[in-house]
Amino acid sequence: MPDADPIARHRNRWFAVILLVGFSIVFFLPFAWMVSTSLKPLNETMSLPPRWLPSEPQWQNYPDAMRAMGPFWLYARNSLMLALLNVVGTVASSALVAYGFSRIEWRGRDSVFLLLLATMMIPFPVVMVPVYTLFRELGWIGTFKPLWVPAFLAGAFNVFLLRQFFLSIPKDLTEAARMDGCGEFRIFWQIILPLAKPALLTVALFQFMATWNDFLGPLIFLVRQEQFTLALGLQNFQSVQGGTAWHWLMAASTLVVLPVVFLFFLTQRTFIRGISTTGFK
Amino acid sequence: MAEIVIDNLRKVYPGAKGQPDKVAVEGASFTIHDKEFLVLVGPSGCGKTTTLRMIAGLEDITSGSIRLDGRLINDVAPKDRDLAMVFQNYALYPHMTVYRNMAYALELRRVPKDDIRRRVENAAKLLGLLEPDNLLERKPKALSGGQRQRVALGRAIVREPKAFLFDEPLSNLDAKMRVETRAELSRLHHALQATMVYVTHDQVEAMTLADRIVVMNGGRIQQIAPPLEVYHRPANLFVAGFIGSPRMNTITGTVTGEGDRVIFTEKGTDHPIRLAMRGDLARLLEKHLGQEVILGLRPEHLADARDLTDPDPGATFEARVDVVEPVGAETWVYLRSSAHQLIARVPHAEPRTDIGHTLHFTADLSRARFFHPGTGESL
Amino acid sequence: MTAREKERLRTGLLFISPWLLGFAALTLYPLLASVWFSLCDYSVLTEPVFLGTENYRELWRDEVFWLALRNTVVFAAVSIPLGTALAIGLAVLLNQPVRGRGLYRTIFFLPSLVPAISLAILWQWLLNGSVGLVNEVLQWPLSLVNLVAGTSLRAPDWLNDPSWALWGLVLTGLWGAGNAMVIYLAGLQEIPAELYEAAEMDGANAWQRFVNITLPLLTPVIFFNVIMGLIGSLQTFAVPYILTNGGDGPGRSLLFLATYIYQSAFDYWNMGYASALALVLFLLILALTLVVVRFGEKRVHYAGR
Repeated sequence: MPDADPIARHRNRWFAVILLVGFSIVFFLPFAWMVSTSLKPLNETMSLPPRWLPSEPQWQNYPDAMRAMGPFWLYARNSLMLALLNVVGTVASSALVAYGFSRIEWRGRDSVFLLLLATMMIPFPVVMVPVYTLFRELGWIGTFKPLWVPAFLAGAFNVFLLRQFFLSIPKDLTEAARMDGCGEFRIFWQIILPLAKPALLTVALFQFMATWNDFLGPLIFLVRQEQFTLALGLQNFQSVQGGTAWHWLMAASTLVVLPVVFLFFLTQRTFIRGISTTGFK
Repeated sequence: MAEIVIDNLRKVYPGAKGQPDKVAVEGASFTIHDKEFLVLVGPSGCGKTTTLRMIAGLEDITSGSIRLDGRLINDVAPKDRDLAMVFQNYALYPHMTVYRNMAYALELRRVPKDDIRRRVENAAKLLGLLEPDNLLERKPKALSGGQRQRVALGRAIVREPKAFLFDEPLSNLDAKMRVETRAELSRLHHALQATMVYVTHDQVEAMTLADRIVVMNGGRIQQIAPPLEVYHRPANLFVAGFIGSPRMNTITGTVTGEGDRVIFTEKGTDHPIRLAMRGDLARLLEKHLGQEVILGLRPEHLADARDLTDPDPGATFEARVDVVEPVGAETWVYLRSSAHQLIARVPHAEPRTDIGHTLHFTADLSRARFFHPGTGESL
Repeated sequence: MTAREKERLRTGLLFISPWLLGFAALTLYPLLASVWFSLCDYSVLTEPVFLGTENYRELWRDEVFWLALRNTVVFAAVSIPLGTALAIGLAVLLNQPVRGRGLYRTIFFLPSLVPAISLAILWQWLLNGSVGLVNEVLQWPLSLVNLVAGTSLRAPDWLNDPSWALWGLVLTGLWGAGNAMVIYLAGLQEIPAELYEAAEMDGANAWQRFVNITLPLLTPVIFFNVIMGLIGSLQTFAVPYILTNGGDGPGRSLLFLATYIYQSAFDYWNMGYASALALVLFLLILALTLVVVRFGEKRVHYAGR
């Protein structure tokens, strides 16, 4: 909001800068504290008053924390594998479904789409008991299946996101393709998907994050330690050693955050744009 | 050989909740002859585009039938109709090169690679996509509006379809490109000897391109005729007003007989325009003695009496000059009779300082048309 | 239906079939099964035994349930307004013409990406009563207040104090306001600059412009975010669970409906009771969402639509 009055404008801008810097410090401090603690020797984590920086960075904390957590690399492999499977499944199935909701006009489509939107109101904890018993009947408890098969059945939110994007692709293009001789699947595959790459990337990113971050799913479906994801493995470590080795807990937490932050910086623009568009119907 | 026969075609869009259904096309029947260039023209919302899209197969038909070379195609998918369409926004695939845009339909039909190359290159040559610059490997984004338009044409041409469908293909071009492309389309039609159906709201495009024009309004066909017939013998008041710019003058009046003469008297004023009819026109109006009619007269058929060597006194009246618009080759003069606003197209290069003066104008009554005031139909 | 309409219906259903399958197996069936289970004694190991409304009667008598319900509602009622205000505030700041906006935006946004597990462990550490960073920072203003007013205020032992644990959780949520902020920022940038210029010509100052233009035109985005925030906060589980080392906090102050569902189902294997709780959570979300939608209907301005 620029102000016509130059003095007011100047004053407002300085005010904004001060607030921005202040909030930035508040928002950034927890990160700094996490990394700083992760590099302290154990006794310095508990010193009173707290030390801002380690006397000497203990890089050794990282390999030590990984060893203390148990099979760290196995956890990481499980997390990565599940994340990738979920990305593939969600992108493929949600794109198909979104096409069916945006590019084909069939009777009852809009009512069914409303139903899909309504399912966003039903979070996992509401349905987790019967879902658990269902997977138990199938003999899937203690396997990875409950954590990736559902991804191939399209998520409502991702369908919504992709549908909005597909609707923004000019109708002319699909009609031209229809005149050129395409069937529906070919239009989907050769026209819509290539044009929807940014949206597909957004969905892939969101899903990667969601799976990487998921805690409740692995908590109830996984049984054996060698199947744990990083999130579950880290929680297991935290509850086993009862919250004392803060330097290791911080090191491990940093390790779990790191891939996410890395991915964000790699794809910042897609990411921000993806989130920005979710707020508009 | 491609003849499209449309019979009693109807399109109804179901209304949204609480809204009545919307009739887009009501009982349209016409035939598009082989090798004909047929133009559907009308104001926006008149049903012309819906009709074209039903021919293309992009829109379901509510009732009626469309036959292509005798075969009923109501339920045939667009891809199996062998028709090519040029879209208003060109609808080029942004992720494909120009070459692939043109080749795509042929690839889908499993035309041999060599054939595809030959056909694409022929079309590209015809449309100037090879010279001066070879555009075939560019993406649509790297093309100007005019070039995109050519690619869209090329994509249709390589198909060698039974008929071409055009949906306002020139409306996104600037005025200069539009005129050029219009001429090019005419040339293409002669070169390809193909059936073409063309939708536009631009009457100039309709007049210049068409073998025959179908004028539509409110979902109904108003007139089907060659361009000059539509211009000179409009079937009703709507066509009279829609075709021609500036629009046809219309004057409401009554017909009376005075001795052996038939007189048209402007209505609604104490100083009416009075015009004396002769010949065929008098014989036509005799049937309407004592009735109200609407006189239609094109602006070029009104002349400044001073420009005529021997103005017909029975066709001359007084009117005040309101506005004078020089448009270059001619001048448009806005007149005010006591009850009507009229326009005359006079061939003066310079506007005269006549504004506010009352002058004499002479109508060329041999070109006058008369319409029924209730139905709007031509008498 | 014409042949082509039938054909399109078939194709359409084929395309959405993955979702239809998912909806049937993972939403519709579970909802119906929940109703059945909630009327049964069911421990997974044996078949469900019909009990009638016993689970619901027990629920009515169960103080822990009422506590979980209260905590859930209070948490939503506190964290949504605070989160909304913070996210809008940050977005408005970021919408000012100052240098380095990209950097500020990244800093505000990054915390919202932190996985629940890292977030919870980090905040467990930050909120530590004796050596936590939060209290270290709070200590300066507190000692100033104490000096001036002669009081003896002390920073709370957040996660070990029943009356403060919920506020600690609210803090962790506020740290993640960046996600909503990005959506608000996009909403702000949609507002045409002419409107501000027109208001300025009309003599509105910065605050008046915010109240009379920014907020009304932002209402669709606020509406969307509040609904999303509502659904999110009512199902909160992972962060309080991990903050409390897999428990429910001092005096069960961090026990939420989702936590209680989890405990009933997977600690006590009482699937019937858990299902009854799940249905209550479902109805709660449904009811509160309807309230927000009703409230929003009259107050949301869809500009130019």
